[in-house]
Amino acid sequence: MINPVTYFLSLILTALIVNLGLSLYGVFFRPSLIKKIIALTIFSDTANTFAILIGFRRWVDNQPSIPPVIVGDYTSEIIQKEFIKRSVDPLPQALVLTAIVIGLAVTLFLVFLTLQIYRTYGTLDIREIRRLRG
Amino acid sequence: MRREFALLSIILFVVSVSLLVSIIAHYIYIPGINIRPLAHIYLNTTYNLVNRNFTANSPEAVTAIVWDYRGLDTVFETTVFYLAIIGSIALGRGLFKFSKSSGETGLSIIVKSVSRITTPMIVTVAVSIALHGHLTPGGGFQGGSTAAVAPLIIIIAFSQYFLIERGISKDLMLVIRSLGLLMIGIVAITAYFIGVFTKTPAFVLQNQAKTVSPVSLPAYLGGQLISGTLWFFNLAEFFAVLAGFTIVILLLVIPERAFKSDVK
Repeated sequence: MINPVTYFLSLILTALIVNLGLSLYGVFFRPSLIKKIIALTIFSDTANTFAILIGFRRWVDNQPSIPPVIVGDYTSEIIQKEFIKRSVDPLPQALVLTAIVIGLAVTLFLVFLTLQIYRTYGTLDIREIRRLRG
Repeated sequence: MRREFALLSIILFVVSVSLLVSIIAHYIYIPGINIRPLAHIYLNTTYNLVNRNFTANSPEAVTAIVWDYRGLDTVFETTVFYLAIIGSIALGRGLFKFSKSSGETGLSIIVKSVSRITTPMIVTVAVSIALHGHLTPGGGFQGGSTAAVAPLIIIIAFSQYFLIERGISKDLMLVIRSLGLLMIGIVAITAYFIGVFTKTPAFVLQNQAKTVSPVSLPAYLGGQLISGTLWFFNLAEFFAVLAGFTIVILLLVIPERAFKSDVK
Protein backbone atom coordinates (compact mmCIF):
# COMPACT_ATOMS: atom_id res chain seq x y z
CA MET A 1 0.00 0.00 0.00
CA ILE A 2 2.94 2.33 0.66
CA ASN A 3 5.07 2.86 -2.40
CA PRO A 4 8.77 2.34 -1.48
CA VAL A 5 9.87 5.23 -3.72
CA THR A 6 7.43 7.57 -2.00
CA TYR A 7 8.59 6.34 1.39
CA PHE A 8 12.26 6.99 0.64
CA LEU A 9 11.46 10.43 -0.80
CA SER A 10 9.54 11.39 2.32
CA LEU A 11 12.38 9.96 4.43
CA ILE A 12 14.74 12.34 2.64
CA LEU A 13 12.29 15.21 3.11
CA THR A 14 11.83 14.67 6.85
CA ALA A 15 15.56 14.12 7.39
CA LEU A 16 16.22 17.40 5.61
CA ILE A 17 13.79 19.27 7.84
CA VAL A 18 15.37 17.78 10.98
CA ASN A 19 18.83 18.57 9.57
CA LEU A 20 17.72 22.17 9.04
CA GLY A 21 16.68 22.43 12.69
CA LEU A 22 19.90 20.85 13.97
CA SER A 23 22.10 23.14 11.88
CA LEU A 24 20.17 26.22 13.04
CA TYR A 25 20.72 25.03 16.62
CA GLY A 26 24.43 24.82 15.83
CA VAL A 27 24.50 28.34 14.40
CA PHE A 28 22.66 29.88 17.36
CA PHE A 29 23.88 28.00 20.41
CA ARG A 30 27.45 26.85 19.74
CA PRO A 31 29.95 29.30 21.20
CA SER A 32 32.86 28.40 18.89
CA LEU A 33 33.04 30.36 15.64
CA ILE A 34 34.43 27.38 13.70
CA LYS A 35 31.48 25.23 14.80
CA LYS A 36 29.13 28.02 13.76
CA ILE A 37 30.69 28.02 10.28
CA ILE A 38 30.40 24.22 10.03
CA ALA A 39 26.73 24.42 11.02
CA LEU A 40 26.20 27.21 8.50
CA THR A 41 27.63 25.08 5.66
CA ILE A 42 25.37 22.20 6.69
CA PHE A 43 22.44 24.62 6.67
CA SER A 44 23.21 25.91 3.17
CA ASP A 45 23.73 22.38 1.81
CA THR A 46 20.39 21.32 3.28
CA ALA A 47 18.68 24.30 1.69
CA ASN A 48 20.27 23.43 -1.66
CA THR A 49 19.09 19.83 -1.40
CA PHE A 50 15.59 21.13 -0.69
CA ALA A 51 15.68 23.18 -3.86
CA ILE A 52 16.84 20.16 -5.89
CA LEU A 53 14.06 18.05 -4.34
CA ILE A 54 11.44 20.63 -5.37
CA GLY A 55 12.49 20.15 -8.99
CA PHE A 56 12.29 16.38 -8.80
CA ARG A 57 9.72 14.51 -10.86
CA ARG A 58 7.84 11.29 -10.24
CA TRP A 59 8.81 8.36 -12.46
CA VAL A 60 6.88 8.24 -15.73
CA ASP A 61 5.76 4.73 -16.87
CA ASN A 62 8.08 3.09 -14.29
CA GLN A 63 11.05 4.66 -16.06
CA PRO A 64 13.42 6.72 -13.90
CA SER A 65 13.53 10.49 -14.38
CA ILE A 66 16.53 11.81 -16.29
CA PRO A 67 18.72 14.88 -15.73
CA PRO A 68 17.93 17.96 -17.85
CA VAL A 69 20.55 17.16 -20.49
CA ILE A 70 19.75 15.78 -23.94
CA VAL A 71 22.02 12.74 -24.24
CA GLY A 72 22.86 11.32 -27.64
CA ASP A 73 21.69 12.78 -30.93
CA TYR A 74 20.09 16.04 -29.79
CA THR A 75 18.78 16.86 -33.27
CA SER A 76 16.53 13.78 -33.25
CA GLU A 77 12.83 14.46 -32.66
CA ILE A 78 12.17 11.18 -30.81
CA ILE A 79 14.93 11.78 -28.27
CA GLN A 80 13.61 15.31 -27.68
CA LYS A 81 10.06 14.05 -27.05
CA GLU A 82 11.41 11.47 -24.59
CA PHE A 83 13.53 14.17 -22.95
CA ILE A 84 10.59 16.53 -22.41
CA LYS A 85 8.48 13.65 -21.09
CA ARG A 86 10.95 12.41 -18.48
CA SER A 87 13.38 15.17 -17.57
CA VAL A 88 13.34 16.85 -14.15
CA ASP A 89 12.95 20.61 -13.60
CA PRO A 90 16.22 22.36 -14.62
CA LEU A 91 15.57 25.71 -12.89
CA PRO A 92 16.35 24.69 -9.25
CA GLN A 93 19.52 23.02 -10.47
CA ALA A 94 20.63 26.22 -12.21
CA LEU A 95 19.98 28.22 -9.04
CA VAL A 96 21.75 25.70 -6.79
CA LEU A 97 24.79 25.49 -9.07
CA THR A 98 25.65 29.16 -8.59
CA ALA A 99 24.59 29.05 -4.92
CA ILE A 100 27.13 26.29 -4.20
CA VAL A 101 30.07 28.17 -5.72
CA ILE A 102 29.09 31.45 -4.04
CA GLY A 103 28.57 29.57 -0.77
CA LEU A 104 32.09 28.19 -1.08
CA ALA A 105 33.52 31.69 -1.62
CA VAL A 106 31.55 33.11 1.31
CA THR A 107 32.68 30.20 3.51
CA LEU A 108 36.31 30.85 2.59
CA PHE A 109 35.80 34.52 3.46
CA LEU A 110 34.28 33.59 6.84
CA VAL A 111 37.11 31.15 7.55
CA PHE A 112 39.67 33.85 6.80
CA LEU A 113 37.76 36.31 8.98
CA THR A 114 37.76 33.75 11.82
CA LEU A 115 41.49 33.20 11.36
CA GLN A 116 42.10 36.94 11.67
CA ILE A 117 39.88 37.10 14.78
CA TYR A 118 41.90 34.27 16.31
CA ARG A 119 45.16 36.03 15.50
CA THR A 120 43.94 39.27 17.05
CA TYR A 121 42.11 38.01 20.13
CA GLY A 122 43.64 34.59 20.72
CA THR A 123 40.24 32.96 21.14
CA LEU A 124 37.28 31.79 19.04
CA ASP A 125 34.74 31.70 21.87
CA ILE A 126 32.07 34.21 20.91
CA ARG A 127 31.36 35.07 24.59
CA GLU A 128 35.02 35.94 25.19
CA ILE A 129 35.17 38.07 22.04
CA ARG A 130 32.10 40.00 23.14
CA ARG A 131 33.65 40.67 26.54
CA LEU A 132 36.87 42.02 25.01
CA ARG A 133 35.04 44.94 23.35
CA GLY A 134 36.95 45.74 20.28
CA MET B 1 24.11 7.53 27.44
CA ARG B 2 22.12 10.75 26.98
CA ARG B 3 23.83 11.32 23.62
CA GLU B 4 22.82 7.91 22.29
CA PHE B 5 19.30 8.42 23.52
CA ALA B 6 19.05 11.78 21.74
CA LEU B 7 20.46 10.29 18.51
CA LEU B 8 18.08 7.32 18.67
CA SER B 9 15.07 9.56 19.29
CA ILE B 10 15.99 11.78 16.33
CA ILE B 11 16.31 8.76 14.01
CA LEU B 12 13.01 7.31 15.27
CA PHE B 13 11.33 10.69 14.79
CA VAL B 14 12.58 10.94 11.20
CA VAL B 15 11.51 7.40 10.27
CA SER B 16 8.04 7.70 11.82
CA VAL B 17 7.28 11.15 10.43
CA SER B 18 8.37 10.08 6.94
CA LEU B 19 6.05 7.07 7.21
CA LEU B 20 3.25 9.49 8.00
CA VAL B 21 4.24 11.76 5.11
CA SER B 22 4.34 8.85 2.67
CA ILE B 23 0.86 7.76 3.73
CA ILE B 24 -0.38 11.29 3.05
CA ALA B 25 1.58 11.35 -0.20
CA HIS B 26 -0.38 8.32 -1.32
CA TYR B 27 -3.30 10.69 -1.83
CA ILE B 28 -1.71 13.98 -2.90
CA TYR B 29 1.37 12.80 -4.86
CA ILE B 30 4.62 14.52 -3.97
CA PRO B 31 6.57 15.01 -6.15
CA GLY B 32 4.14 15.36 -9.01
CA ILE B 33 4.23 13.51 -12.29
CA ASN B 34 4.24 16.81 -14.18
CA ILE B 35 6.72 19.63 -13.85
CA ARG B 36 5.90 23.32 -13.71
CA PRO B 37 4.85 25.09 -16.93
CA LEU B 38 7.95 27.31 -16.77
CA ALA B 39 10.22 24.26 -16.60
CA HIS B 40 8.30 22.78 -19.51
CA ILE B 41 9.10 25.87 -21.59
CA TYR B 42 12.79 25.59 -20.71
CA LEU B 43 12.95 21.89 -21.61
CA ASN B 44 11.02 22.45 -24.81
CA THR B 45 13.17 25.31 -26.11
CA THR B 46 16.66 24.46 -24.91
CA TYR B 47 17.53 22.77 -28.19
CA ASN B 48 14.72 23.03 -30.69
CA LEU B 49 15.18 22.90 -34.46
CA VAL B 50 11.52 23.61 -35.22
CA ASN B 51 10.93 26.64 -33.04
CA ARG B 52 13.90 28.74 -34.16
CA ASN B 53 12.75 31.94 -32.47
CA PHE B 54 12.96 30.77 -28.88
CA THR B 55 15.70 28.16 -28.72
CA ALA B 56 19.01 28.57 -26.87
CA ASN B 57 20.73 25.96 -29.08
CA SER B 58 22.21 24.08 -26.15
CA PRO B 59 21.35 20.45 -25.26
CA GLU B 60 22.22 21.25 -21.63
CA ALA B 61 19.20 23.00 -20.11
CA VAL B 62 20.99 24.08 -16.91
CA THR B 63 23.77 25.96 -18.71
CA ALA B 64 21.17 27.47 -21.05
CA ILE B 65 19.26 28.80 -18.03
CA VAL B 66 22.39 30.01 -16.23
CA TRP B 67 23.83 32.02 -19.13
CA ASP B 68 20.94 32.59 -21.55
CA TYR B 69 17.45 32.64 -20.02
CA ARG B 70 18.62 34.04 -16.68
CA GLY B 71 21.93 35.55 -17.76
CA LEU B 72 21.59 38.83 -15.85
CA ASP B 73 20.90 36.86 -12.68
CA THR B 74 24.18 34.99 -13.12
CA VAL B 75 26.12 38.17 -13.78
CA PHE B 76 24.97 39.54 -10.43
CA GLU B 77 25.70 36.25 -8.69
CA THR B 78 29.22 36.51 -10.09
CA THR B 79 29.35 39.96 -8.50
CA VAL B 80 28.44 38.47 -5.12
CA PHE B 81 31.18 35.88 -5.58
CA TYR B 82 33.80 38.54 -6.22
CA LEU B 83 32.60 40.69 -3.34
CA ALA B 84 33.40 37.77 -1.01
CA ILE B 85 36.87 37.45 -2.53
CA ILE B 86 37.49 41.21 -2.46
CA GLY B 87 36.47 41.13 1.21
CA SER B 88 39.11 38.48 1.88
CA ILE B 89 41.78 40.50 0.06
CA ALA B 90 40.83 43.63 2.00
CA LEU B 91 41.11 41.74 5.30
CA GLY B 92 44.51 40.37 4.34
CA ARG B 93 46.01 43.58 3.00
CA GLY B 94 49.64 44.09 3.92
CA LEU B 95 50.02 40.37 4.59
CA PHE B 96 51.49 39.48 1.22
CA LYS B 97 55.15 39.92 2.15
CA PHE B 98 56.53 36.42 1.80
CA SER B 99 59.82 35.34 3.21
CA LYS B 100 62.01 32.85 1.35
CA SER B 101 61.62 29.17 2.02
CA SER B 102 64.15 27.68 4.37
CA GLY B 103 65.48 24.30 3.26
CA GLU B 104 63.30 21.30 2.37
CA THR B 105 59.57 22.03 2.58
CA GLY B 106 56.39 20.10 1.97
CA LEU B 107 55.28 16.55 2.63
CA SER B 108 57.11 13.26 1.92
CA ILE B 109 58.36 12.14 -1.51
CA ILE B 110 55.43 9.71 -1.93
CA VAL B 111 52.86 12.49 -1.56
CA LYS B 112 54.86 14.76 -3.87
CA SER B 113 55.10 12.10 -6.62
CA VAL B 114 51.40 11.30 -6.43
CA SER B 115 50.56 15.02 -6.55
CA ARG B 116 52.79 15.46 -9.61
CA ILE B 117 50.73 12.81 -11.41
CA THR B 118 47.25 13.79 -10.24
CA THR B 119 47.45 17.59 -10.50
CA PRO B 120 47.61 17.69 -14.35
CA MET B 121 44.75 15.19 -14.42
CA ILE B 122 42.62 17.42 -12.18
CA VAL B 123 43.28 20.43 -14.41
CA THR B 124 42.47 18.40 -17.54
CA VAL B 125 39.16 17.17 -16.14
CA ALA B 126 38.32 20.70 -14.98
CA VAL B 127 38.96 22.19 -18.43
CA SER B 128 36.85 19.43 -19.98
CA ILE B 129 33.99 20.15 -17.56
CA ALA B 130 34.16 23.87 -18.34
CA LEU B 131 34.48 23.71 -22.13
CA HIS B 132 31.81 21.01 -22.59
CA GLY B 133 29.43 22.90 -20.32
CA HIS B 134 26.89 23.42 -23.12
CA LEU B 135 26.86 19.70 -24.09
CA THR B 136 27.28 17.70 -20.87
CA PRO B 137 26.65 18.48 -17.19
CA GLY B 138 29.14 21.15 -16.17
CA GLY B 139 30.09 24.71 -16.96
CA GLY B 140 32.38 27.51 -15.91
CA PHE B 141 31.46 27.52 -12.22
CA GLN B 142 31.92 23.77 -11.80
CA GLY B 143 35.09 23.60 -13.88
CA GLY B 144 36.64 26.53 -12.03
CA SER B 145 35.85 25.02 -8.64
CA THR B 146 37.36 21.71 -9.74
CA ALA B 147 40.49 23.38 -11.08
CA ALA B 148 40.92 25.31 -7.81
CA VAL B 149 41.65 21.96 -6.14
CA ALA B 150 44.96 21.78 -8.05
CA PRO B 151 46.64 24.81 -6.37
CA LEU B 152 45.28 23.62 -3.01
CA ILE B 153 46.97 20.22 -3.48
CA ILE B 154 50.21 21.86 -4.63
CA ILE B 155 50.24 24.17 -1.60
CA ILE B 156 49.65 21.31 0.83
CA ALA B 157 52.06 18.84 -0.78
CA PHE B 158 54.86 21.19 -1.88
CA SER B 159 54.32 24.33 0.29
CA GLN B 160 53.27 27.71 -1.06
CA TYR B 161 56.81 28.69 -2.09
CA PHE B 162 56.56 26.12 -4.89
CA LEU B 163 53.76 28.23 -6.42
CA ILE B 164 55.31 31.63 -5.66
CA GLU B 165 58.71 30.70 -7.15
CA ARG B 166 56.89 29.78 -10.37
CA GLY B 167 55.24 33.18 -10.56
CA ILE B 168 51.72 32.23 -9.41
CA SER B 169 51.15 35.12 -7.04
CA LYS B 170 48.16 37.11 -5.83
CA ASP B 171 48.75 39.84 -8.42
CA LEU B 172 48.84 37.45 -11.38
CA MET B 173 45.65 35.80 -10.15
CA LEU B 174 44.00 39.22 -9.80
CA VAL B 175 44.93 40.01 -13.41
CA ILE B 176 43.50 36.67 -14.66
CA ARG B 177 40.33 37.21 -12.63
CA SER B 178 39.87 40.72 -14.02
CA LEU B 179 40.46 39.47 -17.58
CA GLY B 180 37.80 36.79 -17.03
CA LEU B 181 35.34 39.39 -15.77
CA LEU B 182 36.17 41.68 -18.70
CA MET B 183 35.52 38.87 -21.15
CA ILE B 184 32.14 38.16 -19.53
CA GLY B 185 31.26 41.83 -19.94
CA ILE B 186 32.39 41.96 -23.58
CA VAL B 187 30.52 38.78 -24.55
CA ALA B 188 27.42 40.10 -22.79
CA ILE B 189 27.28 43.27 -24.92
CA THR B 190 28.44 41.73 -28.24
CA ALA B 191 24.96 41.05 -29.56
CA TYR B 192 23.83 44.52 -28.49
CA PHE B 193 26.61 46.25 -30.45
CA ILE B 194 26.02 44.04 -33.50
CA GLY B 195 22.44 45.28 -33.31
CA VAL B 196 23.60 48.90 -33.02
CA PHE B 197 25.87 48.64 -36.09
CA THR B 198 23.36 46.77 -38.26
CA LYS B 199 20.40 48.95 -37.14
CA THR B 200 18.42 46.00 -35.78
CA PRO B 201 16.96 45.73 -32.27
CA ALA B 202 19.01 43.57 -29.89
CA PHE B 203 19.46 43.35 -26.13
CA VAL B 204 22.29 42.83 -23.67
CA LEU B 205 23.10 39.16 -22.90
CA GLN B 206 21.31 38.03 -26.06
CA ASN B 207 22.38 34.66 -27.41
CA GLN B 208 20.14 33.44 -30.23
CA ALA B 209 17.67 35.32 -32.41
CA LYS B 210 14.29 36.15 -30.89
CA THR B 211 11.10 37.28 -32.58
CA VAL B 212 11.58 40.99 -31.87
CA SER B 213 15.40 41.06 -32.04
CA PRO B 214 16.77 38.99 -34.91
CA VAL B 215 20.47 39.25 -33.98
CA SER B 216 22.00 35.80 -33.50
CA LEU B 217 25.51 34.77 -32.50
CA PRO B 218 26.82 31.69 -34.38
CA ALA B 219 25.64 28.47 -32.76
CA TYR B 220 28.11 26.36 -34.73
CA LEU B 221 31.81 27.17 -35.19
CA GLY B 222 33.60 24.98 -37.72
CA GLY B 223 30.91 22.33 -37.49
CA GLN B 224 31.14 22.17 -33.69
CA LEU B 225 28.19 23.24 -31.52
CA ILE B 226 29.28 26.14 -29.28
CA SER B 227 25.78 27.50 -28.55
CA GLY B 228 26.58 31.14 -29.30
CA THR B 229 27.69 32.97 -26.14
CA LEU B 230 27.49 29.99 -23.78
CA TRP B 231 30.94 28.58 -24.66
CA PHE B 232 32.65 31.95 -24.19
CA PHE B 233 30.85 32.61 -20.92
CA ASN B 234 31.91 29.22 -19.62
CA LEU B 235 35.55 29.82 -20.63
CA ALA B 236 35.66 33.26 -18.98
CA GLU B 237 33.88 32.08 -15.84
CA PHE B 238 36.30 29.13 -15.59
CA PHE B 239 39.35 31.40 -15.43
CA ALA B 240 37.65 33.90 -13.14
CA VAL B 241 36.47 31.31 -10.60
CA LEU B 242 39.82 29.47 -10.66
CA ALA B 243 41.78 32.69 -10.06
CA GLY B 244 39.38 33.89 -7.37
CA PHE B 245 39.62 30.70 -5.34
CA THR B 246 43.42 30.59 -5.77
CA ILE B 247 43.69 34.09 -4.25
CA VAL B 248 41.74 33.08 -1.14
CA ILE B 249 43.68 29.81 -0.79
CA LEU B 250 46.97 31.73 -1.02
CA LEU B 251 45.64 34.09 1.68
CA LEU B 252 44.70 31.25 4.02
CA VAL B 253 48.16 29.64 3.98
CA ILE B 254 50.15 32.77 4.93
CA PRO B 255 52.46 31.51 7.70
CA GLU B 256 51.88 32.66 11.26
CA ARG B 257 55.31 34.28 11.59
CA ALA B 258 54.61 36.56 8.61
CA PHE B 259 51.53 37.88 10.43
CA LYS B 260 53.41 38.31 13.72
CA SER B 261 56.24 40.26 12.10
CA ASP B 262 53.61 42.43 10.41
CA VAL B 263 51.99 43.29 13.75
CA LYS B 264 55.34 44.28 15.27
